[in-house]
Amino acid sequence: MSDVISKNDLLRLVDQWLAEGKRVLGPVKTGGGVILYAPLAASGQLVLDGFVHPANSIKEAVFPRSETIYTYTFNGQEIELSDVDPDCTQCIVIGARPCDAAALPVLDHLFNWDYQDKFYNARRAATTVVTLACTEHDDDCFCTSVGLGPASEQGSDAMLITAPDNRYEIRALTDKGQALFAGKTSAAEIKVPISDGPAKKFDTVDIETFLKNNYESDAWRDITMRCLGCGACAYNCPTCHCFDIVDEGDASGGRRVKNWDSCQFGQFTVHASGHNPRAVQAQRQRQRIQHKFRIYPEKFGAILCTGCGTCTRNCPVGLGVLNTLEAIAVIARASIEVK
Amino acid sequence: MIDQLRQTCRKLLEEGAVNVVIGYGQDKPSMMPHPVFITKPEETERLVWNDLCFANLAAYVTRKEIKALGKPAVIVKGCDERALVVLEQESQFTRDGIYVIGMACDGVGNPRAAKCASCAVRTPRYADVTIGEAKPATPAADGEFAQLDEFMKKTPVERLAYWKSEFSRCVKCYACREVCPMCYCTRQGGRCLVDKNRPTAIDTSATLKGNLAWHIARAFHQAGRCVGCDECTRACPAGINLRLLNQSLAKAAGRAFAYKAGMDPETPPVIGSYSLEDKENFIQ
Repeated sequence: MSDVISKNDLLRLVDQWLAEGKRVLGPVKTGGGVILYAPLAASGQLVLDGFVHPANSIKEAVFPRSETIYTYTFNGQEIELSDVDPDCTQCIVIGARPCDAAALPVLDHLFNWDYQDKFYNARRAATTVVTLACTEHDDDCFCTSVGLGPASEQGSDAMLITAPDNRYEIRALTDKGQALFAGKTSAAEIKVPISDGPAKKFDTVDIETFLKNNYESDAWRDITMRCLGCGACAYNCPTCHCFDIVDEGDASGGRRVKNWDSCQFGQFTVHASGHNPRAVQAQRQRQRIQHKFRIYPEKFGAILCTGCGTCTRNCPVGLGVLNTLEAIAVIARASIEVK
Repeated sequence: MIDQLRQTCRKLLEEGAVNVVIGYGQDKPSMMPHPVFITKPEETERLVWNDLCFANLAAYVTRKEIKALGKPAVIVKGCDERALVVLEQESQFTRDGIYVIGMACDGVGNPRAAKCASCAVRTPRYADVTIGEAKPATPAADGEFAQLDEFMKKTPVERLAYWKSEFSRCVKCYACREVCPMCYCTRQGGRCLVDKNRPTAIDTSATLKGNLAWHIARAFHQAGRCVGCDECTRACPAGINLRLLNQSLAKAAGRAFAYKAGMDPETPPVIGSYSLEDKENFIQ
């Protein structure tokens, strides 16, 4: 027997969460016609099918684009600092893609490594992720190449699986997920097939070997020449987590904020001296790929990519992780060490 | 058209007239055409041309990675060529330092992109070689600024509410800036206004304040320069209609100075020129 909920009941439940003052994030069709994970004002905004993947990720639930970490006031010669409490608002992400949920345990490593980020951890503890198993994929999806799949449970507290007759099978995967749907489902005898997902597009072992042996390679320049150095890939990536700390204020005081940043920006590594160790775009692209497929795995035992394909879909010049790795895989398979 | 394009490029590379062709390629059928940089004659077979060749390749001619390749031949549509005209007027390259391959264009996108409806430059006008023949443009019945005119019927309060809502989705990825041929400050070793931090001119935070300041400052810097290629609008992952903002400045340049950016290399640029006959006296 499976636990089942009708779509109508699910939407009613979403409205109930909202009425309880919870923050609910889910796929929404926004003003420009683009589907994004965004805060819901009502369940009617939620878009659960008819698209492959929103144009962004769910990371804002735990790692907002801009977050105040403390405030300061100038008082004559004195500076007064005031702590800002981490945001503990209960948050539910509904209709997350499994590839987005899978990024959260990966991010946990970074935000709890040499420093425990209390802002991240507070939001993470207050967030419950309800995924919706994928029923379709597009040419840019590659979850199966990084060890995931259309119904991967990593990072999910509960998973919805599309069932016939406007219903969803619910699999509670954690206590949080259990609590969310307790008493809200009915038991039914259903068997829902799970999609196979996209065919495997590259082997991460080949990629890692290539990355280890070809740090200095013309391949980086040749493959990434068209990269324009924007952050459309990193900012919408579920796993990219670089941030910049800046002060914003005036003569009376201000706030210190943690803002998203991207290794693709030319200014990202500029030293105070003016020297830039990553002077050209190929070096920045190399960094992005090396970090995701060699450095992070070596350090934390997890690939910093979940195969969602969002970077490739968003790239204005058709690059992104997938197209870069496919190009690398061709070289790697040919066992050519480009020097 | 594609054979003629490939042959032209092959010849240019074989004869050493250029070192690199900046064009469109398509590494696999599922991909949109994307920029490619062809340096060997035999690689010209990689070049493609179809109505999904959106990218404005003029954005590459000011980049140091591309300049390092040597003299480029750049493949442009009529709208892209307008960007080259502005860049040349702004001394970003010398005309004999690049070879321009113009592609006659009946419009891009399916359905056609908004910019194509009022396109007056389907056949590039200043290219060294022009390939193909475009059907004559049928100017949009409701005019070049139809979408803007409709938008301007809203009250200022409604318009501000619209932009607040649009900009709330902006994460400051700067895709708008990086695809833009006119946003070359960082490409020249300088800093974009938003990247200046001694002192900070614009909040880098993707908050409403920071986003409004960024988009308005960028629009101002595009006044009389933006050629309406709409690459920023295409590139925006959040689907923000930056075209509307750019058009309001383009319309103002037309109204106040009878000027349209990138149409004529001989017309002094409205922002980059000074005349003793200017009616304002604050600068005298």
